Amino acid sequence: MTELQARAVVKAYGPTPALRGVTLDVAEGEIIAVTGPSGCGKSTLLHCLAGILRPDAGEITWRGQRIDTWSEAARSRLRRTEFGVLFQFGQLVAELTAAENVALPLLLAGTGRREARTAALTWLERLGVAEVADARPGEMSGGQQQRCATARALVTEPRVIFADEPTGALDTLAGEQVLTRLVRLAREQGTAVVLVTHEPRIAAYADREVVLRDGAVDHTGLGLDASLAGGPR
Amino acid sequence: MRPATLARLAVAGTRTDTARVVLTGFSAALATLAVLAALTVLAIPEVPGDAWAQAEQYRNNLLREPGLRGGTAFALLLLTIPVLALAGQCARLGAPARDRRLAAVRLAGATPGQVTGIVVAETGVAGLLGALAGLAAYLGGRDLLHRPDERGLLPLPTDVLPPAGAVAAVVLGLPVVAAVASALLLRRVTATPFGVVRRVRRRGPRPWPGLLIGLGLAAFAAFRPVGLWFERQQIEPPPWLPPVLLVGGGLAAMIGVVAGTGWISYATGRLLHRYARRPAALLAARRLAADPWAGSRTFAALLAAMLFGAGAAGLRAYFTAQDELYRRIGAESAGGGDFYLDTMDLVDLAVVVAMVIAAGGLVVALVEGITARRRTYAALVATGVPRATLGRAIAWQSLVPAVPAVAVALTVGLLLARGVFGSPTAGGYTMTSCDAGGTLCTDPATEARYTRTEWVPRVIVPPDVPLEQLALLGAGALAAVLVTVAVGLLFLRAGTAVEELRTT
Amino acid sequence: MAGVSTPHVLLGLLATGTKHGYELKRAHDARLPRARPLAFGQVYATLGRLQRDGLVAAAGQEREGGPERTAYALTGDGRAALDRWLSEVEPPMPYVAGTLFAKVVVALLAADVDRARAWLIAQRRAHTERLRELTAVKTSPTAALDELVAVDFAIAHLDADLRWLHTTLDRVADWHREVHS
Repeated sequence: MTELQARAVVKAYGPTPALRGVTLDVAEGEIIAVTGPSGCGKSTLLHCLAGILRPDAGEITWRGQRIDTWSEAARSRLRRTEFGVLFQFGQLVAELTAAENVALPLLLAGTGRREARTAALTWLERLGVAEVADARPGEMSGGQQQRCATARALVTEPRVIFADEPTGALDTLAGEQVLTRLVRLAREQGTAVVLVTHEPRIAAYADREVVLRDGAVDHTGLGLDASLAGGPR
Repeated sequence: MRPATLARLAVAGTRTDTARVVLTGFSAALATLAVLAALTVLAIPEVPGDAWAQAEQYRNNLLREPGLRGGTAFALLLLTIPVLALAGQCARLGAPARDRRLAAVRLAGATPGQVTGIVVAETGVAGLLGALAGLAAYLGGRDLLHRPDERGLLPLPTDVLPPAGAVAAVVLGLPVVAAVASALLLRRVTATPFGVVRRVRRRGPRPWPGLLIGLGLAAFAAFRPVGLWFERQQIEPPPWLPPVLLVGGGLAAMIGVVAGTGWISYATGRLLHRYARRPAALLAARRLAADPWAGSRTFAALLAAMLFGAGAAGLRAYFTAQDELYRRIGAESAGGGDFYLDTMDLVDLAVVVAMVIAAGGLVVALVEGITARRRTYAALVATGVPRATLGRAIAWQSLVPAVPAVAVALTVGLLLARGVFGSPTAGGYTMTSCDAGGTLCTDPATEARYTRTEWVPRVIVPPDVPLEQLALLGAGALAAVLVTVAVGLLFLRAGTAVEELRTT
Repeated sequence: MAGVSTPHVLLGLLATGTKHGYELKRAHDARLPRARPLAFGQVYATLGRLQRDGLVAAAGQEREGGPERTAYALTGDGRAALDRWLSEVEPPMPYVAGTLFAKVVVALLAADVDRARAWLIAQRRAHTERLRELTAVKTSPTAALDELVAVDFAIAHLDADLRWLHTTLDRVADWHREVHS
């Protein structure tokens, strides 16, 4: 069943078009990789899907409801409850401990501090970083930070996780530790994952790959303009 | 490194850097003006032979009476304190970006000395230009304001100049002090080309600034007893002693209050963390404990203005009490009380000016803090943290340390004024008077008959604690903080734009 | 996997103790998961050559209700040969060889650009599929270390191939664009 849908989404930064009519379905529990060369609009698409950016034209629907017309507050609430977000780096609050960072979404939802901490510790354990629960991000390795960020994205048991080059700043093994755990836990929870990456070996974690090129879905996989390629094959 | 390269690298920054340089120059000019004004007042010559003779050429009693001139000069010197605090804050403007740029210069192979050279050149040249502008303004103002009235009286001491050596020392000394201070602030960047790579948990600040406050209070309290001691020994106190006691004590107290804010931030942060239930308070608490000196940097000028304002309030309370004393002992106050109170109105005006300057510094520091952390804020907003929560966190983190810090500053300022001036006192001695007019009294034969000696009872009027004025000052300061937070939130909006999330 | 020296692998397996042919085959398949399974015939042929060269020696026979089986043990020479092999650095890609590379060159030579591109796309799809299959092994909660090491090896090579396929596809496209505009 399709949970999240982008319909002919257009988004431009000033005169430069980033997305030129992208249509994409994300099914329940599906892990989908969005790939393409840098500057193809991958991140912009992710931000539109997650309700962080508002598209200039087109629709984003979540379980049949248009969310791109919602207010910032309503979209914030949606991101907090149904979505989880994971970036390349720098998303943890430097002053908070790992456990507090992970507990933050729960606290925002009104959970008590003790309860939130317990849940945070459980998720840190699942991500294999229970030992850094009381360390600050500055005291952890990059891989540990990303695993904490993953725990934070998963702690609310969201329906979709948006991951934008989540291993871009990590070495192969540290990146693998983040991704294998993310994928395994997402499958356990039935959480869909939208994974933006430019690396084939990262995209291989997904069930399905969508290639973007110049702001549009590249069905041909040719890397050529439709005119040169003679249309989709 | 050739001077041209140095100059190129010193001005390689953004508009923020330009703003910093201009503000540095501006505060240097203000400080120069204040110090030169104080020196001018001190340069008014005493009438030879009579230490208490009035300088007849001035309209204003503050300048005429030798006994008041020291205080006037002192007040002018005190005005430099908020100005210097502002200068310190301006030095932080755009500092993270500049630190990164300098770190890049270091990575490109510059030695620590060369990087320090760039900063020292920037600050020193800006300071020197500012000081020269201040000097020009002073000299120009001197000409402009040299307007004797119909009786030939001058409104300001435009007929004297401080010694040339002193002027030169001020104009050259201020930039040097500014440059040395900026070089000290830069230690971290020059030590490692990476700037701060990994933060390790540091010990929280200790409450040692309390000692400095105590030292300042002691210096002020010692002012009168030391003067009396010298009087009793029948020797002139060394000329440097009173200014050292007052300026040194004032500086010690101010540094103590400002540095103490670090400890206050840390302590309130930990306290808040223990009781915080909501994410906004939790974020603020952790931020306060993690970077307690942010409070010191942010509130430096404001606290200096508070200190100054509370001192002025104490002084006003003293003059009011003195009026009351004159009234009680039936002495003619000769309008002197009103005169002092009028003067205090001027001082209060200066306090308001200082507070406005401080509020400017506050905005600078807060916006700086927000823009430096915009990536984290943007990421939090992306994960669904409402901007309102971030706004509340910023408000918490500004107000929680501000309330106790302002209270401390007001108390210390008041105590400083009390220390120097104490309570107006009259009587407590015997008085001999002769009621019978000139001839009878001067004649040794009749003198004794008409002369009587009486005990004049001691009257002490302890000045009231100027609660109303202090409350007004405190409320003004907190209002300034609130307004600043509101302005900061506007920047937060721009800072949390999703563009900040784009990689690297 | 071409170029794997089966004799040396067998020597290495015998270094852990005396084994007969069937045991060697099982140890090989267990230790090198996802390698091409070793055929019995190949095991015995290799053992014969190793014995001829004096690198292994028959260490007794056993008979348990089946055909007679000879157990083999490593000799001193065999140990030396194994040590030599283990300390020898493999020449890093002395020749550029490989079917993928050869096919592109031949396609450009014997057919046309479109043909080469069509093949590149099909090959890339196949590589991607295989990469996804192998990656799925990593995310399964029961993956053992041996298996992860084997899968990592395959993934790294597939990844390298894929990068080359991408680059070549872009290069061919660029060349095509330049010629046709």
